[in-house]
Amino acid sequence: MSESIVRVVNLKGGYGSHIVLKNINFEVRQGEVVVLLGRSGSGKSTLLKHLIGLYQPSEGEVWIEGKNLVTAVDDERQELLRSFGVLYQSGALFGSMTVLENVRLPLDEFTDLPEAARNLVALSRLKLVGLEKVAREMPSELSGGMQKRAALARAMALDPRILFLDEPSVGLDPVTSAELDNIILQLSHSFGITFVIVTHEIPSIFAIASRAIMLDEHTVIAEGTPADLRDHSRDPRVRRFFHREAEPDEHKKQPHPA
Amino acid sequence: MQMDDKHQSSASVDLREEAGGALTIALHGLLDARSTGRCWRDLEEKLRRRRVKSVVVDAGDASFSGSIGIALVSHLQSGGMTPGAKVDVRGLKDEIRKMIEMFPSESAVGAGREPSLLWRIPEEIGELVRSFALDLKEQIAFLGGLFVALPVVLVRPRRMRWREVRRVLEKAGANALPVISIFSWLVGLVLALEAAQPLKHMGAEIFIADMIGFSSLRDTGPLVTAIMLAGRSGSAFAAEIGTMKVNEELDALTTMGLSPMRFLVVQRVVAALLLTPLLTLYAMLMGIIGGVVVLRFMGFPPLMIYHEIVARVGLNDFAVGMFKSLIFGFIIGGIGCMRGLQTKEGPRAVGVSTTRSVVASIMLVIFANTIFSMADYFLNQ
Repeated sequence: MSESIVRVVNLKGGYGSHIVLKNINFEVRQGEVVVLLGRSGSGKSTLLKHLIGLYQPSEGEVWIEGKNLVTAVDDERQELLRSFGVLYQSGALFGSMTVLENVRLPLDEFTDLPEAARNLVALSRLKLVGLEKVAREMPSELSGGMQKRAALARAMALDPRILFLDEPSVGLDPVTSAELDNIILQLSHSFGITFVIVTHEIPSIFAIASRAIMLDEHTVIAEGTPADLRDHSRDPRVRRFFHREAEPDEHKKQPHPA
Repeated sequence: MQMDDKHQSSASVDLREEAGGALTIALHGLLDARSTGRCWRDLEEKLRRRRVKSVVVDAGDASFSGSIGIALVSHLQSGGMTPGAKVDVRGLKDEIRKMIEMFPSESAVGAGREPSLLWRIPEEIGELVRSFALDLKEQIAFLGGLFVALPVVLVRPRRMRWREVRRVLEKAGANALPVISIFSWLVGLVLALEAAQPLKHMGAEIFIADMIGFSSLRDTGPLVTAIMLAGRSGSAFAAEIGTMKVNEELDALTTMGLSPMRFLVVQRVVAALLLTPLLTLYAMLMGIIGGVVVLRFMGFPPLMIYHEIVARVGLNDFAVGMFKSLIFGFIIGGIGCMRGLQTKEGPRAVGVSTTRSVVASIMLVIFANTIFSMADYFLNQ
């Protein structure tokens, strides 16, 4: 079994004074594509923000490549943050820069490569996601799917070993969504990149995930391959999620805002 | 993206001349995001003035952490550093060789470069002229739409959303009173202080009252109010309507069969037309008070100041100021709403519209004021 590249230990956290996550424990191994599942408001995106260091947990540890992100400070923290890439839900491309400049930005800031090398590497990332022809365009001139792909290219600029993706398929049509799934699979197989993906797109989960971790009521309630969870889970919350069934009226609760 | 990890501490390059004019470039060590840059520059320096017919890249002693090092091999293989030479890459593992395919050709890299400044200048001038012409066309269309919508609403006032007009009057008018008070009072005060020095030499300090009366009624009152309103209320109109555009609320209005011009713009323009003269009147008064404070400080009795102002400043000066304020109100309301309607997509667009609204309103107000002053001067010759 390959080494653990992301490890979460007894994490308790949320945003502001609002606790959304309690007693979260899981591991992600090198090369895995792990999806974090759950209903809206279950804390998936909040958990992701703890994993990438945007939120500080009130308790627990987040280990990335053997280093604790929670206690890391100064240069060590900056180094750790640069070791992974993040694709945000909206893409978060910088609107005042061209697509190529967006992808080249981490290379401009954190490497001493000459300009020709930075262009070559940035264009290779855009070629990987099929966007080398729109390198000179502004992000506002791209469709939603293209913006996501460009943002994925930017996340890969510094050769990260881990990519965190926050709902990559949201707002995309099924064809574009399937294309993005294919890119994720290709990156995983060809370059051994480890993926941690927040999603609730069921077709996408079965297409890409080697393992799924399901959250509900502030904590992890199930873990396994998507097929296992769908076919063998005895937890009604997991079954309802995979079979798209409505919750019975007596169990209805007010979800937390994401 | 770990391809091969021998964990050597650094990378280096060696150049060897072979018999027959061939050149061997030997890569050693771990090529990663840090070491590749140094090797790249080193090689560029060494190969800059060399003309070689054939090159052998020996990568047998190199290992790669991620794809940035492979970019160097790709660049060498495609002749990026040795144009025209035949390049043979040796010692690469199959998986690395496959990864080289993901790099674009040198021509694609060239296409990714920014065009030179010389090329960009005519392009940018053309773009500027085009956007100016388009903007002018939109302004004329907007003005036409507004002139059609305004009389309809005024003739049939029941169709007017007076509650919205009241809300705008309160937000843009009543809430602006403190700022306009301070601003106008200080402008009057400063003008009087500046005029005091030269007039004192001529023993004509009392004429400060004439100057303050004239300038407050004809220029500073309307201008100060207009500039404050452009920054405070015109920008708010642009932001409100711009946010509605971004949130597709304007599309919702249109599909319901409601015209954004009649539903949103007319109320704001009418409110601006009503409140600008009122605020201007207030600003005129505050400006005069500012000047009077200075005159009182200089020892002039209140009655003397009053008679000086009333004797010199006529009703026509007041009418000129009020007429200007109406035009300024129309400019501020119209430009604010027009920039709001012109908002493009995305969250950034609202900020852009707001800025454009303030800049255009202030420019047009000052331009209109200049025309009034010139017309007044020549008509009274």
